[in-house]
Amino acid sequence: MAEKTLDCLGEACPVPLIRTQKAIAELAPGDLLVVQIDHSCAMKNIPEWADKAGHNYEIQEVDDGQWEIVIEKAA
Amino acid sequence: MTTAIEPRSNVRRPLRPPVTRKERASQLPWALGLFALIVAAGVYIVRAGGSPKLGFIWVVGVALGLALQRSRFCFTAAMRDPVLTGSTSLTKAVVAGLAVGTVGFSAIQLGAYFKAGQLADAAKLAALEPVGLHTVVGGALFGAGAVIAGGCASGTLMRMGEGFLQQWLVLPFFVLGSALGAVTWPVWKAALRVAPSGGVWLPAALGGFLPALLVQFGLLLAVWLLADWWGRRHAS
Amino acid sequence: MALAQREVEENDSVPAAVAAAAGPRKATWRDHETYRALLVQPWTYVTGAVILALLNIALVAATGKGWGVTTSLAYWGAWIWGALGGDPHRWAYFAEVKPAFNAPGFGLLSDPGSLTNLGIVAGALLAVLLAGQFRIKRLKSRRQVSAAVLGGLAMGLGARIAFGCNIGDLFTGLPSMSLHGWVFLVSIFLGAAAGSRLLVKYFI
Repeated sequence: MAEKTLDCLGEACPVPLIRTQKAIAELAPGDLLVVQIDHSCAMKNIPEWADKAGHNYEIQEVDDGQWEIVIEKAA
Repeated sequence: MTTAIEPRSNVRRPLRPPVTRKERASQLPWALGLFALIVAAGVYIVRAGGSPKLGFIWVVGVALGLALQRSRFCFTAAMRDPVLTGSTSLTKAVVAGLAVGTVGFSAIQLGAYFKAGQLADAAKLAALEPVGLHTVVGGALFGAGAVIAGGCASGTLMRMGEGFLQQWLVLPFFVLGSALGAVTWPVWKAALRVAPSGGVWLPAALGGFLPALLVQFGLLLAVWLLADWWGRRHAS
Repeated sequence: MALAQREVEENDSVPAAVAAAAGPRKATWRDHETYRALLVQPWTYVTGAVILALLNIALVAATGKGWGVTTSLAYWGAWIWGALGGDPHRWAYFAEVKPAFNAPGFGLLSDPGSLTNLGIVAGALLAVLLAGQFRIKRLKSRRQVSAAVLGGLAMGLGARIAFGCNIGDLFTGLPSMSLHGWVFLVSIFLGAAAGSRLLVKYFI
């Protein structure tokens, strides 16, 4: 079960989401993608997309205005 | 209550060992300091401008900024996401906002109409602007610019407040572009055949408030249904 | 697998295992449940939209004019030009389109749009500070610089040509039942679609 980290700190909307979509496509089901963001829009639209796409996600605030979204790719 | 800042998730099991949040000094003192400044600014604005209405406008502005940031509202995303990610949740929210706005504005317009008896008096309260080819050209240019810049008019201001230096850079060029647009008015006025004032107000054009409101809400509902269908269809 | 147990949870309810594993931490202001719900966790988009609309309605009810952003930006540009030695009061634009600019004594503090613009910046900053989420996000690449410059110029120019922006034309104009609002809605969609292609091609 691979784990990949995606640093999207400082990226403007919608770049974090687009990069997340691309990165997830390259993973195998069950793999984890950890997306690091500091954009307030992304902390809403990435989990929303992940849920809609059927993936499991977990979002956690790790610092002031910084979040990590863990996405587990669905089958 | 003694808990860590909990993660939010769509599954009932943790996906990985939890990460503890970095211990930082609270930002609350800064918030309270800023609040005091905002109040002070309001007082100054009322005194210097000579009208309490200006203070009210200032408070509304602050409330707008608060509401925009708290809900992560983004008109740009509402326009862009249907195409880029297939999501229409913001689009539908914008339609909801437009519907509420219509209810409130038409109530105010109707009030003026009943008071004065003339449709024209109600029209004065409507935000009318000349409509034509220039609206399409300007709107398209604005929409493209907003997506590229990472935020529209309200989004730029909101993100400046959030600390995005990119939007602090957008603003001076936004101002420059606006000034250039104003100074070149004679050029595009002629090229696009623009009238300097006027506009088409639906109640006047469609023969009354009733037909206008029916059309307005009908169109809003149609847009909402379209967005809803699009969003469900593009769940990828 | 996990999919069978999937359940969307929009609030703070915690997978019990995670909370236990994370261990206790000293409780602060930020942990209080109501504070978090109101000021830390994001509101829904619809909540935001409704509140924004209500504020706009309040503005019209109190002042007769709705919310707008970009006309004031043109004023700011004109005032800066004036400070640099130019005379913006001679521009045909203000005489023909926005005569309020030439009214005696008209300035930043008497312009509702300027007040709301500045207020929005302050309000957004206040919101992030209350949530403890303020952070400076620096520019990361030259791409972001060109995106900011080109995007800003395009928005400024486009808003003047369309007589408004996503707020003045769309959020205020359309609910006023002005046709230009509807035309702007369609146009901004088309522009955003084109902008998205450009964004993905050149700015990501």
